[in-house]
Amino acid sequence: MAALPLAQVPPGTDATVAELRAQGGMLRRLLALGLHPDSQVTVVCMDRGHLIVSIAGARYALSRGMAMKILVTPAVTPAGAGA
Amino acid sequence: MRKSIRVALAGNPNVGKSTLFNAITGSHQHIGNWPGVTVEKKSGYVKKGEYDIEIVDLPGTYSLSAYSIDEEVARNFITDEKPDVVVQVIDATNLERNLYLTTQLAEIGVPLVIALNLSDMAEKRGDAISRQKMEEYLEIPVVRTVGSTGDGVQELLHAVINEAETSPHHEHTIGYGDAIEAIIVKIVSALEADAALTSQYPPRWLAVRLLEGDRAVREKVDAGPAGEAVRAVLAGTDPDELEAEMADRRYGLISAILPQICTLCVKKMSPSDLIDRVVTDRYLGIPIFLALMWGAFQLTFAVATPFMAGIEALMGYFSSVVAVSGLPEWLISFLDGGLIGGVGTVLIFVPNIFILMLILAVLEDTGYLARAAFVMDRLMYAIGLPGKSFIPMLIGFGCNVPGIMATRTIEDPKDRLITILVNPFISCGARLPVYVLFAGIFFPENAGTVIFGLYVLGIAVAIGSAKLFRSTILPGNPAPFLMEMPPYRLPTVPTALLHMWDRGSMYLRKAGGVIFGIAVVVWALASLPLGVEYGSAESLAGMIGHAIQPLVAPLGFDWKIAVALLFGFLAKEVVIGSLGVLYGAGEDGGALEGAILADPMFGPVTALTLMVFVLLYLPCMVTMAVIKKETGSWKWTAFSVLYGLVIAYAVAFIVAQAGRLLTGGI
Repeated sequence: MAALPLAQVPPGTDATVAELRAQGGMLRRLLALGLHPDSQVTVVCMDRGHLIVSIAGARYALSRGMAMKILVTPAVTPAGAGA
Repeated sequence: MRKSIRVALAGNPNVGKSTLFNAITGSHQHIGNWPGVTVEKKSGYVKKGEYDIEIVDLPGTYSLSAYSIDEEVARNFITDEKPDVVVQVIDATNLERNLYLTTQLAEIGVPLVIALNLSDMAEKRGDAISRQKMEEYLEIPVVRTVGSTGDGVQELLHAVINEAETSPHHEHTIGYGDAIEAIIVKIVSALEADAALTSQYPPRWLAVRLLEGDRAVREKVDAGPAGEAVRAVLAGTDPDELEAEMADRRYGLISAILPQICTLCVKKMSPSDLIDRVVTDRYLGIPIFLALMWGAFQLTFAVATPFMAGIEALMGYFSSVVAVSGLPEWLISFLDGGLIGGVGTVLIFVPNIFILMLILAVLEDTGYLARAAFVMDRLMYAIGLPGKSFIPMLIGFGCNVPGIMATRTIEDPKDRLITILVNPFISCGARLPVYVLFAGIFFPENAGTVIFGLYVLGIAVAIGSAKLFRSTILPGNPAPFLMEMPPYRLPTVPTALLHMWDRGSMYLRKAGGVIFGIAVVVWALASLPLGVEYGSAESLAGMIGHAIQPLVAPLGFDWKIAVALLFGFLAKEVVIGSLGVLYGAGEDGGALEGAILADPMFGPVTALTLMVFVLLYLPCMVTMAVIKKETGSWKWTAFSVLYGLVIAYAVAFIVAQAGRLLTGGI
């Protein structure tokens, strides 16, 4: 399954972080929060790309701009999610 | 001989650090200049055995990368002031992320103790964390604590003393892989040329920070004798890439030991998820937020009214006692007009302030405020601010001073400056007495709605100004939103009350200090020169008022209001304190309401104009000082003052003119 931006993953999906397309301070912040390649992310809820994710038990809110920079591999295909 | 130990309390945000701090130090706290948020250095003291222990509460941080100002404050304290022991408060329900900070703290090489906090919550959900294993793997003492009940505080202090006495020097290092280690070795040997620096900081830590592109460390090294050699090693390395690689190694270490120390740390969907889905819903999110805010203001008035009536009756009683006391006439005038009229009038509003602070504290402690920031992010983004600015704005409803200080978590300098500049338009608690007084007199049926409207006006002006600044003097796009949503927690009564007291007591201290001082000055101005009728046009206050009154005449303000507004710069609640003195409230046992109602100068339109003007006209003196401190610029401070005056005048003028046209009255 190819990597896709976190902003395009349906709610309820578990995914693995594939790549972080952020630099400098933003990258540092993501890493400190536990969003590093190979870490597990669960999308709790989402509204047009703005989402709340759960990472290692903690919950973060991301705007669409941020969520587009995080590429993930979903555990299930988007089409099959929610089924 | 007593010994003293200095301890720094570090940790991620939302791990219950402040609660633990309160549990350790109790009432023995030295709360910096501005209580309310853990941004300034907050220290407390505790005695144990022969030790005097000073605890410094550092701002909550996710890492020590000095990415935001909070992180810089925390980092610099640890590296530069070298506390005897650093206690990292860890959220036991979220070990993985918390341990990331541990790896960074350990690398600095300070004596470290871990407080495994919120242990009760972790145990309740079935996690089994082995402290023995944790101590073994991390080589750091670990103490189980529950901040809200004070469990484990004595054990923690014991561990701190032990660590300070033995100060075992651990060489905590993380292997970053051959390629990075080779560069680290080169940097460390290059740094040998700078003995001054390496005696102050561990060389390996400096090397790691340099590789991660730490600007502050880079500047320190560049200025020293090793600068050139280090630059040569660093040339051609990509800090972003290295940082990701090094973070990977740190997490690699964490995920290797995590299953050993926590055997049952299972991931579960929590009830928080369900609540989050509702309160951040696309359609429900904003209405829920507005309903909560409206309810908060209604509650503020409903609950406060009986308390206010009580204080008012007490002031009336004092006033009548003074009137028949047989004291010299000037002293009666001072006690009645100056003290009861000035300070007393301000004190009546203490219940309002405290209840508002309590509601804000509860909203913050439950974890809802972070959701509100997320819900508002899209709206905020549209006006040119990041969603994070929302929290400083909400805190600004209590007081702009902590509101402006809370902007330190905003990383982007432009985002931060705009958030600071618009914060004074957020109606703080000190303005509330002015609204309560005038809305109560002139809009008795709709006081709550009028006051809510003023808050909305403040927000609207803040939004409009942000948009204006963004499209003119500070162009650019706000940083994308990324914020932790703390788990929902039921706030405990003591925590909420302490929070309320922290913020509300500042108002009381102001009443006793600056407001008392101004009341005396206004009373003196109203009584001098000798022999003049108190508070008349011939008094000094009258002369000052008449001199500036032409400026505010288009707004329908008389000289008394002009004087009150002049002194209101010192603190906005002084506006009613001064009016109380000038109207001689307390004389004849009558309160300020009666005197204002009897004044033919005052009508609903003038009252509304005055409320609008007070809302917008200036940041108060303390807010101005904090704007200067936070922006580090007199230019922006002056801009904030002038901009506020212009906006206030323009909006108040429109209100005055429109009001007169529509109602035909004043």
